[in-house]
Amino acid sequence: MLKLNTKLIATASAAAAIAVLTVGCMQNSAEPKGTNTVNGKPTIDGGVIYPVENDKTGPYYVNPQVALDAKKIYNGRVPTANELKAWDKDVMPDGTGLPEGSGSVEEGEEIYEAKCVMCHGDFGSGGGGYPALSKGNGYELQKTLTNNRWHDPEADGPTRVFGSYWPQISTMFWYIKDGMPHPKSKTLSDDETYALTAYMLNINEIEYEGEEIDDEFVLNREKMLKIKMPNENGFIPNIDGPNALDDVRTFYANPTNFGAIKVKASERCMKDCQEKSVVVTRIQGAGISNFLPPMSDVRDLPKEDNKAEVKVDVKEVYNNACAMCHSSYLAPGSDEWKPFLAEGMETVYKKAIDGTEGGMPAKGGADLSDANFKLVVDYIVHGK
Amino acid sequence: MDNKSQHDKTIDRREFFRKSAAASVAALAGTSVMSSDAMADDPAIMHHVPWGQVWGDPVTKNRYGVPSKYEHNVTRRNTKLLASGNFRASIAVTPIQESMGIITPNGLFFSRSHGGVAHVDPNEFRLMIHGLVEKPIVLTLEQLKRYPSVTRTHFIECPANGGQEWRGPQFNSVQFAKGFMSCAEWTGVYVKTILEDLGLKPEAQWMLAEGSDNSEMGRTVPVDKVLDDAMIVWGQNGEALRPEQGYPVRLLLPGWEGNLCVKWLKRLEFSTEPWYCKEETSKYTALQPSGKAIQHFYANEVNSTVTSPSPEIPWTNLKDGDIVEIEGLAWSGMGTITGVDLSFDGGNNYVKANLKGLVLPKSWTRWSYMHTYKKGERLLLTSRAMDDAGYIQPTIDQEVSIMGVESVYHRNAVETWEVTATGEVNHVQMRTPGGIKNA
Ligand code: HEC
Ligand code: HEC
Repeated sequence: MLKLNTKLIATASAAAAIAVLTVGCMQNSAEPKGTNTVNGKPTIDGGVIYPVENDKTGPYYVNPQVALDAKKIYNGRVPTANELKAWDKDVMPDGTGLPEGSGSVEEGEEIYEAKCVMCHGDFGSGGGGYPALSKGNGYELQKTLTNNRWHDPEADGPTRVFGSYWPQISTMFWYIKDGMPHPKSKTLSDDETYALTAYMLNINEIEYEGEEIDDEFVLNREKMLKIKMPNENGFIPNIDGPNALDDVRTFYANPTNFGAIKVKASERCMKDCQEKSVVVTRIQGAGISNFLPPMSDVRDLPKEDNKAEVKVDVKEVYNNACAMCHSSYLAPGSDEWKPFLAEGMETVYKKAIDGTEGGMPAKGGADLSDANFKLVVDYIVHGK
Repeated sequence: MDNKSQHDKTIDRREFFRKSAAASVAALAGTSVMSSDAMADDPAIMHHVPWGQVWGDPVTKNRYGVPSKYEHNVTRRNTKLLASGNFRASIAVTPIQESMGIITPNGLFFSRSHGGVAHVDPNEFRLMIHGLVEKPIVLTLEQLKRYPSVTRTHFIECPANGGQEWRGPQFNSVQFAKGFMSCAEWTGVYVKTILEDLGLKPEAQWMLAEGSDNSEMGRTVPVDKVLDDAMIVWGQNGEALRPEQGYPVRLLLPGWEGNLCVKWLKRLEFSTEPWYCKEETSKYTALQPSGKAIQHFYANEVNSTVTSPSPEIPWTNLKDGDIVEIEGLAWSGMGTITGVDLSFDGGNNYVKANLKGLVLPKSWTRWSYMHTYKKGERLLLTSRAMDDAGYIQPTIDQEVSIMGVESVYHRNAVETWEVTATGEVNHVQMRTPGGIKNA
C-alpha cells in the first residue's frame, strides 16, 4: 500500500506549504482550503480536492487514528476461485472476460423475435420509450454525429444507436448477457448472447473483414475481437493505455474542452454583460407538461385512492408488461387458457395477483390496482 | 367534520375574506399594526378547531412516521417522455420547489434506475473487491459497517439535469427543469480506508463498480477519485439507504455524475484498462459539434437556480410593496460555492446575492436576496454561481458555442424565470437565436 500512502502524505504536505505561504490573506487559517493539484498535477476532474490538514478535510473533522489503524482492519475474507468466477463476468474491449461460444445471425433473429421484439420493435426500430437498437447502416449514420441543431433547429440531429455511436462491440455482448431481456435478465446462454450480438451487427449493417454481416454469419470470440465499430475513435479524452489518467487530467485542466468558464471573482461581469443579440426564448407550444401526478402545491386532503378510477389501456399494459412471456404460450385468447379457466375466474385472478411457482410474477410485475389488473387478466384470457 | 359545520365554515370564510378586503384598504390608510374592530374575526381563531377537541392518534400508530396527509402533493414526479414503457428504466424527479435547507428527505430523493428498484436482502449482501489489489476481499454488510465511518453532506445529480433544454426551454417547472438531483447527509466508509488494507497495486488506473440489480449497472472510475473522497455508503440522513438509493449500499463519488454512484453495489474491480460499460458509451457521453463525444465526463459543474419564485410557486398573491425573499440553490461538483449573483434583467446586470446556512464542499448551498415587490413589475430572474475551483456558470451562448446543442449531459448555463406583470412565473432562456454565428 506504499503508493497510496506516499500519495496522500505528499498531497497533505504540499497543501500545508501553500497554507503557510498564504496564511496572511486567509480569513480563517484553521479551515483547510481546496487545491487544484495533486503532487503538482492537476486534479483528474478539473475541480478541487480538500487534503487532510490539522485533522480536517474542508469543514469536516477526521479521526487521525483511522489513518494509523486502517492497515490492520481486514474485516472480511479472501474470495474463493469459484466465487471470483461467478461474479467476475465483465467483458472488456480486448476480450478479457469474453467467453468461448458462437451463434448465428439467423439464430439471433429467432431469439430476438421471441424475447426482444415486443419492446425494441421490428429490426430494433424502438419506440414507446424503449431504445432503438438500429436505424440503418452504422457507417452512414456515424457521419450524422457532426449534425448539430445549434444554428438550425429544423435540421436533422445526430443519430446515436449501437451501429453509429458505440465505440466497442464488447459492450453489446456484456450488456445483453447481464441486462437483457429486461424483464428477466441473466437468463441467456453465451451462445444465445453471441447470436443476439450477431443479429445486432446485422441490423446495423456492420462489416466483418470488409463484407457486410449477412444472415449466414456465425459470430464467435475470435471474430468478435476483429470487428471494429464505425465510431471507435469518436470519443475524447483518451482513456486507453498507461498514460490514460494523465490524458484525462490534461483534458480537464482546460475548461474550454468541456464548456466551462473560469474567472477571478473580482473580474466577473456585473454590468452590461449581455450581447445585443440575446433575446427571451420561450417554451414552444405547451412544452412538456404531462407530469405524473399533475403539478400542484395545494395543501388539502388526498382524494381516496384514485388509482382504480383511472382505467388502463389493457393492450398497452399487455404489450409492456405481459407480452414478453405471454406471446408464444398463453397468448391473449389462446386455447391454452382452458385448463386455467376451469378452476374458476376467482382462482385465476388470485393466482395471477399473487404470482405462481410456475413462473408467473406477482401481477406480472405490473404496477396496477387489483381492479385494473383484473381487466388485463380478462383481456389476456379472452383475447378481447 | 359533518356537512353542516363544513357549510357554516364556508360562509364564515367568505364573510371573512369580504371583510378583510375592506380591512386591507384600511391597512393602507395606516391602521395595520393595531387590532381593529373594523376587521373580521378569523374563524380559524374564533372556532375550536376539530383536532383540538378530540383525541389525536395514539403514539403507537405510525411506528415509522409519515408526512402530514395535507402534504400529499409534495411528491417525486415522472413524465412519460423520460420513461421506458413500464417505468423500470426511468427517473423520479424531486420537487425542489418545496425543498427546505440543504437536505432532501429520503422519500423525495431523486431516483433513477435502469432495471427497476431492487430489493436486496441485507443478509445475502456481499461486496467483493478484487483485481489489482494485493489481497482481494469479500465482505458481509456487518463486516463492511465495522470499518470506521465518516459522514458527509453531498448532492447527487443526474448529469442529464436540464439536459432536455439545450435547444430551448421545455418544462414550465423548476421541479423538471432542475430537479434531477437531491442532497443528503451520507454515512459510510472511504474506499481508500479499505484499500489501505487490501493494498492497491501501482499499475491500477481504473475501478469498475457494479450493481447487483436487474441491469447489473456498472461504471468505470479513475483511481484518483477512489483515493480522494470516494465512499461506500449505507446511511442516508441518519437511517439506512432507501431501496431507491441502492439499499443496503451504494458507491458515492462526491460531486460526480449520479450514474457513477452505483447503487445496490456488489463488486469493485481494479485494472489497468477501462471497461466501456453501456452507461459510459451509449449513454452519459456528451456529443460535441465536432462529432466527438466526451466520454468519462465526471464532475457536475457549478450550477444554480432560483427556487422561489418558480413556475410552481408564483408571486400572484403579492401586493405592491410586499417584501419577499428570493431564494435558490447553488451547487458544484468541483468544490465549494463561493458566491451567487442575481440578475433582474435576464443576466445583463447582476447584484451579489447572499449565501446562507452551511456552505459545504460538493453540497447544495442556499442563497437569498430580499426584494420589494412592485405590483405590475416584469422581471427576468437569473442566478449565477461561482465555486472555489474558479469556475463560474456560463451564459447559454457561451456554453452552446463550445458544446453545441446535442450533448444531452452536463448543461450548467444560467437559467431564467420570467415574472409577468400579474406575478405568474415562466421558464424562459436568454440566448442568441441560432447561437453566436462565428463562435
Ligand atoms: C420489457 C421490455 C424489454 C425487453 C423484452 C427487452 N428490452 Fe432491451 N431494453 C429495454 C429498456 C427499458 C432499455 C433501456 C435500459 C436503460 O435505460 O438502461 C433497453 C436497452 C437495451 C439495449 C441498449 C440500447 C442502447 O442503445 O443503449 C440493448 C442492446 C437491448 N436492450 C437489447 C435487448 C435484447 C437483445 C433483448 C432480448 C433478449 C431485449 N433488449 C429485450 C427494454 C426491453
Ligand atoms: C416473466 C414472465 C411472465 C410475465 C411478465 C407475465 N406472466 Fe403471466 N404467467 C407466466 C407463466 C409462466 C404462467 C404460467 C404459470 C403456471 O403455470 O403456474 C403465467 C400465468 C398467468 C395467468 C394464469 C394464472 C393461473 O395460474 O391461473 C394469468 C391470468 C397471467 N399469467 C396473466 C398475466 C398478465 C395479465 C401479465 C401482465 C400484466 C402477465 N401474466 C405477465 C409468466 C409471465
